[in-house]
Amino acid sequence: MTNARSSAGNAPSTPANAVSKLLSFGALPIVLIICIIIFQIGNPRFLSAPNVLNMTQQAVYLLLIAFGQMLVLLAGGFDLSVGAVVALTSIVSAKVMVAVSLAYPDAPYLTITAGFLATMLVGLACGWVNGFGVAIMKVNAFIVTLATSSIFAGVTLVTSQGIQVSGLPRDFVYGIGSGYFMGLPVSLYFAVPAVAAVFLLVRHMRFGRYIYAIGSNVRSAVVAGVNINRYLMACYMLCATMTAFAGWLLTARVSSGEPMLGGEFPLQSIAAAVIGGCSLRGGEGSPFGVLLGVIFITVVKNGMDLLRIGSNYQMIVFGVVLVGAVVLDRYRLERAAKR
Amino acid sequence: MPVQTHAVEGEVFASLSNASKFYGSFAALKDVSIKLSCGEVHMLLGENGAGKSTLVSLLTGTNRLDEGKRTLRGADCPNLTPLEAREAGINTVLQDFGLAPTLTAVENYTLGREKTKGGFLDKAQMRADMIRAMEKLGVSIDPDARVDTLTRAEQQLLEIVRALGGKPGALILDEPTATLSHDESEHLFSAVQLLRSEGWAILYISHRMEEIRRLGDVVTILRDGRFVGCHRLADVSNDQMITEMVGREMANFYPEIPHNPTTVALEVKGLSSGQKVRDISFAVRAGEIVGLGGLVGCGKAEVARAIFGLQPIDDGQVIVAGTRISKPTPAAMLDCGLVYLPQDRRGEALALNRSVAENIVVEVLGEKNSATAGFVKTSVLGRLVADVMTRLKVQPAEPRKLVQELSGGNQQKVVLGRALSRSRKIFAFDEPTAGIDVGARLDFYKQLQQLCAEGAAILFISSDLQELVHLSHRIYVMHEGFCTAELDQGQITEERVIAYAFGEKPKEDIQ
Repeated sequence: MTNARSSAGNAPSTPANAVSKLLSFGALPIVLIICIIIFQIGNPRFLSAPNVLNMTQQAVYLLLIAFGQMLVLLAGGFDLSVGAVVALTSIVSAKVMVAVSLAYPDAPYLTITAGFLATMLVGLACGWVNGFGVAIMKVNAFIVTLATSSIFAGVTLVTSQGIQVSGLPRDFVYGIGSGYFMGLPVSLYFAVPAVAAVFLLVRHMRFGRYIYAIGSNVRSAVVAGVNINRYLMACYMLCATMTAFAGWLLTARVSSGEPMLGGEFPLQSIAAAVIGGCSLRGGEGSPFGVLLGVIFITVVKNGMDLLRIGSNYQMIVFGVVLVGAVVLDRYRLERAAKR
Repeated sequence: MPVQTHAVEGEVFASLSNASKFYGSFAALKDVSIKLSCGEVHMLLGENGAGKSTLVSLLTGTNRLDEGKRTLRGADCPNLTPLEAREAGINTVLQDFGLAPTLTAVENYTLGREKTKGGFLDKAQMRADMIRAMEKLGVSIDPDARVDTLTRAEQQLLEIVRALGGKPGALILDEPTATLSHDESEHLFSAVQLLRSEGWAILYISHRMEEIRRLGDVVTILRDGRFVGCHRLADVSNDQMITEMVGREMANFYPEIPHNPTTVALEVKGLSSGQKVRDISFAVRAGEIVGLGGLVGCGKAEVARAIFGLQPIDDGQVIVAGTRISKPTPAAMLDCGLVYLPQDRRGEALALNRSVAENIVVEVLGEKNSATAGFVKTSVLGRLVADVMTRLKVQPAEPRKLVQELSGGNQQKVVLGRALSRSRKIFAFDEPTAGIDVGARLDFYKQLQQLCAEGAAILFISSDLQELVHLSHRIYVMHEGFCTAELDQGQITEERVIAYAFGEKPKEDIQ
């Protein structure tokens, strides 16, 4: 049969795609460049090599968490418990490492491995609880993760009694935490494979297609035979595991288990993802956009530090940035509806 | 495309016997049997709420079977999941929730059956598959376009293409031509006939007699969730099918509506709005029904939206009862007696999880005599609701019933009821009978008749050619945003409207 003309027509793909690309990143690259110029004028040290490395180091944690958050956002949910997961991981992994290093003082790598395993377990467990609430119990993601956030924070405080856990192995603190390898922070080498894995998962594997489909239209995914519960569960577990991993790296950075670590991450990870083009309604967003969003947040934060804007003011700024990002999201929706 | 159907012609592909499905105590389907045979097009006919969708959901495994037996390819499968149904070769084109809007066409096409190479998606292969499937149906859709940038017709075609790309076996089509143009429908029909000759079993739901006659081999008729009859189409007449479906004789389907036009109630001059409405002029007088026809997407719906203030007007004038409205907004238009009844009832007209009564009175709530010092006068409103519900025969007649629990036809009545809750002079109906069953349509036509007799001016937008032609006193036809014809009572024929809708001139006029 010939490819007969249909009045549905063959819409030219390039303009439509260019428009949607522009919309998904919006003015972000431009705004980013403007910010960089302003900060550079405000403080010439901003683009110096040490500060760029410093920003890279700072960005690693948010990058991991934002990539986890992206998975959940794509599937149409979100995770407010990432901050609490960071704190819980910090305490649990630190306690485990301290205990192992007391038992085997001469085996630092065993200690670090044990800490890493504990981290993964904490992440999987927290993610399982979130996923169970959302996928199986069918409770709104907002409520579930708000509640688990409180639960995890409570568990953290009970376990630690609100006290820092110190006495972490030297190799952990000075190697992973603040070490450099070939001119780059060691933590970056840890984060890149995880981030790359999420990228492949989202863009080049079946898993990604399914979570986009679930976030875009659950019912169509059901009809297409996608096992919704399994993939939602997997999203929350991956998100929490990425977050726990970030929490572990951050513990090395701050050189002790901190019960109050990571409070800024729920807001910053959602802001980074939404600024980078993820929709709060699900089904929309890309890893590259989220990477840009993370860079943006990190640049703004570091720039304000250099301009000596206090952290209290920074909180106000990030709140405004998040609202702005959500407004942008709405605007995208309206544009999409008009087409 | 080689199709490996192992099935022999005439063999039963899927069947339900004495199947029932209950929601609480309500039987959505009771004791229904149906057999889908290979190489046969099986038509399913029934009013809305007759259980067609429930029957489909039982075949696709999206609903559990409460009683009865279900077989697929000869095997008994009491606990079918959507995935198993797809694996067995059941492909569906459902009415409204098939696609993921933020994914591209090819991503939707392959959803649930992605091809992978070493764990990674084989994008080139999937694209090639989709293009091959499109060729089979004779359509061309950009594989990389996001679905929410496609027109409704393209989305519908994509759903059909997607169903064809599945495992061969059975195809279930739920009113597939509702949003398709004539050309596109023809492609679909030839694809259906091709599939039949390849030995697919096809279940086809349609309200259009013409399609049923043309494509069907067998027809099963449902009413109120019960099985009414199953006939070979050669042995049954249209009247008989309608009678079985509705449960009574349809003596005169389209009521005769007297034409007594008086003064001009609504006049539109040179209206332009966005891409889809360009330089439209028309007038509607009190006591007449003016039809606005054309293909889906020709801009006829946007005309009413622009007049009502739901989308910005770029140029032109809207004149209501002699007064020019410079900037229409819904509130202003309602105040001067124009009411618009949107096509998307669930999306734009109704609060689905609120009661019938609340939905009907929402517009009168703001009026003086419906509340004292902010407290709603329940008795006054209650009487109003009761009046409206009797006038429109809303079923069930319970004001407290939630709107989402009503059938499509009764939801439509609630929308109309809201419009009738205040006195109006001009009604703009956008696809009022889309997705409602024959009985409810008839009720709606009678309401139109009454409104018109009471002196209302009615702008009637419809893609259903027959109803447009039979009910309208005058018709304006649109094509790609422009008004291509104005037909007066004596000139209205289906052929003329179709020709102008496709931007052509009717043959007789050329001669």
